[in-house]
Amino acid sequence: MKKILSIVLAAATAVSVMAGCSKGETGSQAGSGTGTGAAATSLTYWYWADNSSYSAKMQEIVKDFNANNKSKVKVTAQEYPWDGGAYSQNLFTAAMGGGGPDIATFKLTSTPQFTANKLLANLDSYISKWSEKDDIDKSLYDIMKQASGTNSIYVMPWNTQVLYVYYRPSMFKAAGVSVPKTYDEFLTACKKLTRDTNGDGKTDVYGFSMRGSKGGQEPWGSFIQARGGDFTNFASPEAIAGMQDFINLYKNHYAPPTAPSDGFNETVANFKSGKAAMVIHHIGSAADMVKTLGNDVDAFVFPAGKKQWTSLGDTENVVFDKCQNKDAAFEFVAYMATGKGQETWCTATGNVPVSKRVQKLPAFQNNKFMKVSIAGQPHAGIFPVRDTTTDWINTVWPNTVAAALSGKTTAAGAMQTLQKGLYGK
Amino acid sequence: MVRRKTNIWPYLLIAPALLVILSVVFVPAVNAILMSFQNYDLRRPSQTGFAGLANYIEIIKDPLFGEALVKTILWVVFGVGFQFVFGFILALLLNKKFKGRGFVRSVSLIPWVTPGVLIGLMWRWIYDGSYGVLDDILLKLGLIGDKIPFLAQESTAFPSVVVTIIWQGIPFFALMLLAGLQGVPRELYEAADIDGANAFQKLFNVTIPSIKNTIFVTTLLRIIWVANSVDVIFNMTGGGPAYSTQTLSVYIFNTATSLNLGYSSAMSIILTLLLLLVAVPYLRSMFRNQEA
Repeated sequence: MKKILSIVLAAATAVSVMAGCSKGETGSQAGSGTGTGAAATSLTYWYWADNSSYSAKMQEIVKDFNANNKSKVKVTAQEYPWDGGAYSQNLFTAAMGGGGPDIATFKLTSTPQFTANKLLANLDSYISKWSEKDDIDKSLYDIMKQASGTNSIYVMPWNTQVLYVYYRPSMFKAAGVSVPKTYDEFLTACKKLTRDTNGDGKTDVYGFSMRGSKGGQEPWGSFIQARGGDFTNFASPEAIAGMQDFINLYKNHYAPPTAPSDGFNETVANFKSGKAAMVIHHIGSAADMVKTLGNDVDAFVFPAGKKQWTSLGDTENVVFDKCQNKDAAFEFVAYMATGKGQETWCTATGNVPVSKRVQKLPAFQNNKFMKVSIAGQPHAGIFPVRDTTTDWINTVWPNTVAAALSGKTTAAGAMQTLQKGLYGK
Repeated sequence: MVRRKTNIWPYLLIAPALLVILSVVFVPAVNAILMSFQNYDLRRPSQTGFAGLANYIEIIKDPLFGEALVKTILWVVFGVGFQFVFGFILALLLNKKFKGRGFVRSVSLIPWVTPGVLIGLMWRWIYDGSYGVLDDILLKLGLIGDKIPFLAQESTAFPSVVVTIIWQGIPFFALMLLAGLQGVPRELYEAADIDGANAFQKLFNVTIPSIKNTIFVTTLLRIIWVANSVDVIFNMTGGGPAYSTQTLSVYIFNTATSLNLGYSSAMSIILTLLLLLVAVPYLRSMFRNQEA
């Protein structure tokens, strides 16, 4: 009897390993899904905000919409953390479980997994009837279609962020460096800006605050393209050369030794604390940078090598297929795309508006960071949107690049792994 | 002959707990077993279907699985081993009478009652290579010449997360072993004193044999919990850099969040079987000793 008891006890304790992996137990953060029933009068909206000020602004926008919308609906905005991209997974898990919101803030890279599971509402008929559809550039609609892998639009443009290089003018002056105009000049600047400022034999300022953790593929992509590579063939000699440049910055100690594990917070902290002279991010950080550094921060577009590329950060809105009042939901996403919601949000966050009308407003024309964003827009692009992209960004890229930075694998070996991770061959 | 009356009350009383366990543990577990034999990747729902042993064959070929398995063994051996050693020392200390013992007992529980997510975040900042307090202390003590990016390099990331899990688990061992120590009859020590036993002889011939079953159960529980632990590593490194801290449970979690539920289920079945390989002989040996 005791033998049987021992086996049952062991099985009961060990079986909990399996339980956590089952579909039904994947920690859904299901929303209330209040928009059910015919002509629902309330809708739930999920969004993320980078700081508490943006969070308050979103609540203000939704309040304004609730007071003035024609559909007489009440949108309830629920905030979820971005958490390095975990937001998208949580949204997907909730929606697959039958919960989640009616409308949500969204990233294009997630589109294939949502459309493959028929979770998103097709917006074609709404957009074709929409009087303000021409306020958004046609190219953006094309990108939305491309992301879904169909000829339909499931994702409503909202705002973009063009990555550029923030730099500390005082450090450039002290190192005798001028703003790089070519890719080679940029690499040289990384070297010259790396300095021992107090003569103790240790580096105090690094040229470039490298991001080796999740999200680091965006600045990294500029290096690959600058050597003439592209994202269809990571194993090309040009792409490998770009990767080698990236590795060299770390190996030559022009980037902080913590780079393989540095994410957004760490790279920006390095820059703001004076540990690094340059960092790549978008306009979303501008207000905070100015608050900390005053006039000692400026920006330039990542310079051209054989090619010029910078990452186009995108944020959109989607309407879920289960939403029972899609007319009202579309009114909300339209309000966010070209209406007052667009103006208020982009003014507060400094993100690049998708509405041509809003782009022309003085607040956007007189901002130096917005000017750099707009200057970078012609070179801005996205990574291939495939069903493997999210995993590639979250797991494959950071681990492969960390192995390359530590010398565990070569630039060529790393690029072959990245190719396989994204394309499966 | 005494007629036994059937009393349904005990069954009714345990029924709610049994139902909950069945619905939140056994149903998902059975579901996981079924899914492990399926191509179940939510990114490609059109390809969902029975796949036989395909997931298991792929696991055998997967170099990351082998690497994660080795990491899991090291994680459990060093993690649980040092938790036991330090937990036992702490339990022996807390078993002595001294002023403020109650306070020390309460404070020593802090690592155990702190949520794993918080522990992960806290230690991540302690180890931070730019602003971490550990580097600062080591520099001030003159033990290192330059800051060490503990979590950013493969050679130090894994030992760093192991130290964190040791820190977290010491109080649990201490608490359990302390309860065991308090049940050891004083007469045994008095007899050992009369026989002229020294402190080590008393430890190995009286204390440890008396609390052997507590040690067995506590160690088994910790082996299973530590092997399944995801929160600490996930919040400290996410399994990186270069997969150097990716244990099996973290690999399973990462694969599941990448929506490949069939593959992650197959890996979780293998982890379960591996834990059973440890747990069954362990418990059988424990009960055999009890019978003896």
